[in-house]
Amino acid sequence: MSVQLEPRPPRLTVGPAPRRRTPSHNLTRTSGIGLGLTMAWFSLLVLIPLAAVVATAAAGGPDGFWRAVTNEQTAAAIRITVLAALSVTLVNVVMGTMIAWVLVRDRFPGKALLEMVIDIPFALPTIVAGLVLLSLYGNDSPLGLQLANTGWSVYLAFLFVTLPFVVRMVQPVLEELDQEVEEAAASLGASRLTTFRRIVLPALAPAIAAGAALSFARAVGEYGSLVLLSGNLPFESEVTSVRILSAIENDNRATAAAIATLLLVISLLVIVVLDVVQRRVARRG
Amino acid sequence: MSIDITGVSKRYGDFVALEGIDLSLPRGQLTALLGPSGGGKTTLLRIIAGLETPDTGSVVIEGKDATRLPVQKRNVGFVFQHYAAFKHLSVARNVAFGLEIRTHGGLRPPWTPQKRAGRERIQAKVEELLALVHLSQFADRLPSQLSGGQRQRMALARALAIEPTVLLLDEPFGALDAKVRKELRDWLRRLHDEVHVTTVFVTHDQEEALEVADEIVVVNQGRIEQVGTPDELYDDPANDFVMGFLGETTTLGGVVLRPHDIEVDRGPGRAGAQEAVVVRVLRVGFEVRVSAETVAGEQVTVSMTRTHAKALQVEEGATLWLSPAVGAATVPSMPVRLRDGVGA
Repeated sequence: MSVQLEPRPPRLTVGPAPRRRTPSHNLTRTSGIGLGLTMAWFSLLVLIPLAAVVATAAAGGPDGFWRAVTNEQTAAAIRITVLAALSVTLVNVVMGTMIAWVLVRDRFPGKALLEMVIDIPFALPTIVAGLVLLSLYGNDSPLGLQLANTGWSVYLAFLFVTLPFVVRMVQPVLEELDQEVEEAAASLGASRLTTFRRIVLPALAPAIAAGAALSFARAVGEYGSLVLLSGNLPFESEVTSVRILSAIENDNRATAAAIATLLLVISLLVIVVLDVVQRRVARRG
Repeated sequence: MSIDITGVSKRYGDFVALEGIDLSLPRGQLTALLGPSGGGKTTLLRIIAGLETPDTGSVVIEGKDATRLPVQKRNVGFVFQHYAAFKHLSVARNVAFGLEIRTHGGLRPPWTPQKRAGRERIQAKVEELLALVHLSQFADRLPSQLSGGQRQRMALARALAIEPTVLLLDEPFGALDAKVRKELRDWLRRLHDEVHVTTVFVTHDQEEALEVADEIVVVNQGRIEQVGTPDELYDDPANDFVMGFLGETTTLGGVVLRPHDIEVDRGPGRAGAQEAVVVRVLRVGFEVRVSAETVAGEQVTVSMTRTHAKALQVEEGATLWLSPAVGAATVPSMPVRLRDGVGA
């Protein structure tokens, strides 16, 4: 009995079946060059110097790092700086949003002028800002407010230089906001406050968070505008940037780098927290 | 009466948006405010809603003087031309918005039975409304993931959620393409037959108004030109503006009439017929549009069916005798009147 063998179905593919490949990038040659340049530029200006700071801080070992940042005077400076930067950022979130609102929604004489003046703290060289503050709030203050050589001078200087950030981030977003959406909320019975909280604020949240991040970062690193007014009194008005400078002047690079690294970590943390908060507000409504 | 408007005027600087408007709209009626853009119809709708306050006059809604009542307290549903969707909220939460504001249950924490009962009530109501506007399967999408027509249906469900005394729609289909617009128009009519809420919608599209509305209010240059059912307006227009706005018009022997209301003969049989020479023949689908010039020098447009035109052998240069058809709606032509926005 002969067995008829079924002819084998022809093999269509040789070797493993070709896998569908989803490309992990969509770079052409030119955009590849663009990306390369971007990374090189970014590395040279930002990543390598930052890495160097972190490396210098790490060179002293964990003990050295810990000793540097827990030095009584340094810890006080960090506390003063971070506390002032956080408070000022909070104030800016409220005031900046309000100023942006007034600039976008209200029409009044002198609006164009105010538009321009808002940017002055931003455009002014910080040492000039320091001089302005000193002449206004110094020992012979024409306003009768003598804040020089007190803890308040730090707050004042921070407030002055960080004023435009939230305003300038929120303003364009607010301009784009469709006012019909607010009218729709009102027609559904929402009070002005409810409309602001549930409809306007979620739309502004990303811009407010971005402005707050800039404002905090600027405050933490501020030097020029407060150095004249604050008097750099240890435990009272000495901020971290001044502390870093004096560490370097005493040829104590490792301490300077340790403080700088700590500030870097704090700033990153604040930015992450702001982003998380912003996402929650933007989605909640 | 559901809405009573008396002596309402509104100015923006020198521009008179509305002047001495008196209008009463009965309960449960679907009314169209029809007119050219800039004529004041949207301003009138916004005054009814409380989004604008009139300079003079009063607005009474369901017997209650609402003239000074803020929009939040009027219990009106408002639908905007560009949807005004809450972009950061899902479709279901958009619809729930008005209900959530009304059902707060005080400052109790969210896990209390009162709050939970409120939430369940809202959810049931939202599901019902989404089913009504055929968006049930899109409940969890964001408005940006919907098409224009779907977004407008969502906006409508959101407005209906608060069970409004009156529903106001400002050019609701203006931003949609022609096909979707036509679908939504039929759908709005059916929806209104189901829900029966007093509805006012603004449109500049006469076809939309004629097809959907129970009653049409023609608004032009801040005044009401005529109020009536679609048939009344079409068959018995108060003036040449209304006539012109509701469809194409032409003039024959000093009267304004519709191009399809002209009888055409090849000989001078009919009384009052005027001799005219065909200047141009244009065929659009089943319809033939004939431009002719009468011996008196009047330019007349006549529209007829293709078969009719064939039977009469209408062609350029032919001589025709034109007369108004029996029972044709006519108004005396007033060439001095400013006729902006007139169709044809």
